[in-house]
Amino acid sequence: MSVQIRKALDIALKDLIRSVRNRFGLLMMFLVPIILTGIPLLAFPSLRGGGGGGFDMPVTQVIVANLDPPSAQLGGSSAGAMLLQFLQDDSLASLLQVAVAADEASAREAVEERSADVAVVIPADFTAAVLEPERSAASLEARRSANVTLVRDPTLTLGPGIVKGLVSQFVDGFAGAKIAANVVAKQLGQSGATADAEILQSVVAKYVAWGTEQGESRSQGSHPALRTAPPPSKEQTANRGGQMAGAVMIGMMIFFSFFTGATTAGTIVSEDERGTLARLFTTPTAHTAILAGKLAGVFATVLVQVVVLTVLTSAIFGVHWGQPATVALAILGLVIAASSFGILLISLIETTQQLGPVMGGLLTVTGMLGGLFTTGFGGLPSFYETINLLTPQGWAARCWKLSLSGATVRDVAPTAIVLLGMGIVFFAIGAYHFRRRYV
Amino acid sequence: MRDGTAIRIRDLHKDFGDVQAVRGIDLDVYEGEIFSLLGPNGAGKPTTINMLSCLLEPTQGEAWVMGHSIRTDSMAVKEAIGVVPQETALYPDLSARENLTFWGKMYGLRGAALRQRVDQVLETIGLTERQKGRVDKFSGGMKRRLNIGIGLLPRPQVLFLDEPTVGIDPQSRRNILDQVKEFNRQGMTILYTTHYMEEAQELSDHIAIMDYGKLIACGTHEELVKIVGELDRIELTINAKSERVLAGWQATQGVHEVSAEDSKITLLVDDSNVVLPRLFEAAVGAGVRITAVEVQEPNLEAVFLHLTDRALRD
Repeated sequence: MSVQIRKALDIALKDLIRSVRNRFGLLMMFLVPIILTGIPLLAFPSLRGGGGGGFDMPVTQVIVANLDPPSAQLGGSSAGAMLLQFLQDDSLASLLQVAVAADEASAREAVEERSADVAVVIPADFTAAVLEPERSAASLEARRSANVTLVRDPTLTLGPGIVKGLVSQFVDGFAGAKIAANVVAKQLGQSGATADAEILQSVVAKYVAWGTEQGESRSQGSHPALRTAPPPSKEQTANRGGQMAGAVMIGMMIFFSFFTGATTAGTIVSEDERGTLARLFTTPTAHTAILAGKLAGVFATVLVQVVVLTVLTSAIFGVHWGQPATVALAILGLVIAASSFGILLISLIETTQQLGPVMGGLLTVTGMLGGLFTTGFGGLPSFYETINLLTPQGWAARCWKLSLSGATVRDVAPTAIVLLGMGIVFFAIGAYHFRRRYV
Repeated sequence: MRDGTAIRIRDLHKDFGDVQAVRGIDLDVYEGEIFSLLGPNGAGKPTTINMLSCLLEPTQGEAWVMGHSIRTDSMAVKEAIGVVPQETALYPDLSARENLTFWGKMYGLRGAALRQRVDQVLETIGLTERQKGRVDKFSGGMKRRLNIGIGLLPRPQVLFLDEPTVGIDPQSRRNILDQVKEFNRQGMTILYTTHYMEEAQELSDHIAIMDYGKLIACGTHEELVKIVGELDRIELTINAKSERVLAGWQATQGVHEVSAEDSKITLLVDDSNVVLPRLFEAAVGAGVRITAVEVQEPNLEAVFLHLTDRALRD
């Protein structure tokens, strides 16, 4: 390695050491982004997962007295048995624990003794009532007398309410069978034919069989138009918190890495004022090596910051940033853009007194335009996202969002290339200004 | 080009826009000597040093350091010199040892040689005990010493010291002056800028007096003092207008020159101890009271005053 390159690396290392010894710098590099990311998670504790503030629904104890006998219309089963089977389905296990009583009295007694929260009494003519076409006043009367009875613990509301809703949903399902039978009876009547009981029962039976088949398909998740999703597990809830933290951290990390880029580049001006830059120029070190060392120090400092923040947020908030390759691309893009943007800005100022407005003003405004303070929000209008891309911060945010959402290298690469291109342009202009001033 | 000359300057100019900071100086500094550039603020001393250390390019003229042109061979010049700037150019958040180590690397030192040299310099500047302390916790004198230590790291043939005693306590100042003499005893050529006449007088083999970017006098202390002769300078303040005593004092034996401004009268005399009682006697005779007396024996201040009609401290 040539002597001048070694000297440039020594200058970069010296700047890196000085950056990490600066308490205010450390605060802005690491602590503030972490704290600002943690605040939304404190505001919404359920996002943290692990039961911290989450709602646990108690299991409702149900006892069923099924008085409905098997029916030939349903192939030896009964509507009551189907209701019982529906309530005992595995998908409802986290809500209901269902036991069977021999008769209505036993079921009622279980509720009175508080060994059950709700008793479901299915009457003896339940099958007939739900399957009988509404052709006569007698059938209507039969239906009314065949209501399912719910007996509930008066101190409970939520569990019995769920059971009532489920039973109503089940009974409503049979309404389709009835409608099918009525349509067949009417069409036969209009064509001069008579719909006898056997035909109508056959229609109802076929509808019920079809409905049962569809229900089974749905429970297996194969319905063509419907996808059922199980409730999120605690692990998934925790990950949701992590991803939200990741979304917020994207904004914070980008904002503060641009801040660090400008601050570290600002040491060129502060060294100029302090006299150390002039002293460097009196040593047998090439001016280009001095400048290269100072600029390498900016890249090294921002790189350390971004890598540490990425690792820390994974450890603290459980953020899964994406595939290693896409994360590496996002880190590279951000480091190049933040460092070179800082170098560009600082090359335009003359004194450290001008650093304040640059940090407080320009970086904040471009950060806001880049959407860094809204990365945790979804559903923003598309024109806003277009405005974001007017700034390097917006492109960096896009790169990280893609990585966070699990995008592939192929998806992330174009954005990273744009960042790289911006970085090269910023660096070239900044280095040109510095060379004109110092070399 | 060398001929025992460490620094040779010919017709050196530096302009900053319309301002002529250095206006054509010629100078020779010989190897192994301490050479002082003396002059008030704004005389052009730091600009001259900055050109010699290749920080500034001359507008006109040329200079050579150890035979190397500052215009065409700046890297060789930088390898021959150590520079101690007027401001303490240090990294406040690094320790004394870290500062020296970093600057040592910039001078091309590495490994064991670097560690050994840093130890030696720490010993020389008396900061071995405080080598791990952060510089921002140091006193002004300690910072000055460290500032000088960095200039010593490359074992320079020529050391430029730009006002190294500005703003420090008398004890630290004494310490630095003794160190400068010691560096010179070790064979280092030293170019020392100051606006303190006593420092230039104590340290220097040769002194150049600068004012408004020009070299107005150059020589040994004795040679410069001869410019104003062997006369003492007496400054008297009276409680009346000068006209009342002026004629009497001009006629007093031992008085060579008299100039007056209001009630303040300046006289060049043979021997102030003999002449002063005569002046008091003449004042009493004229009914005038002397309210203040200041006596200056021939020195660089008097030389500057003689050459510029201004005090060096102005």
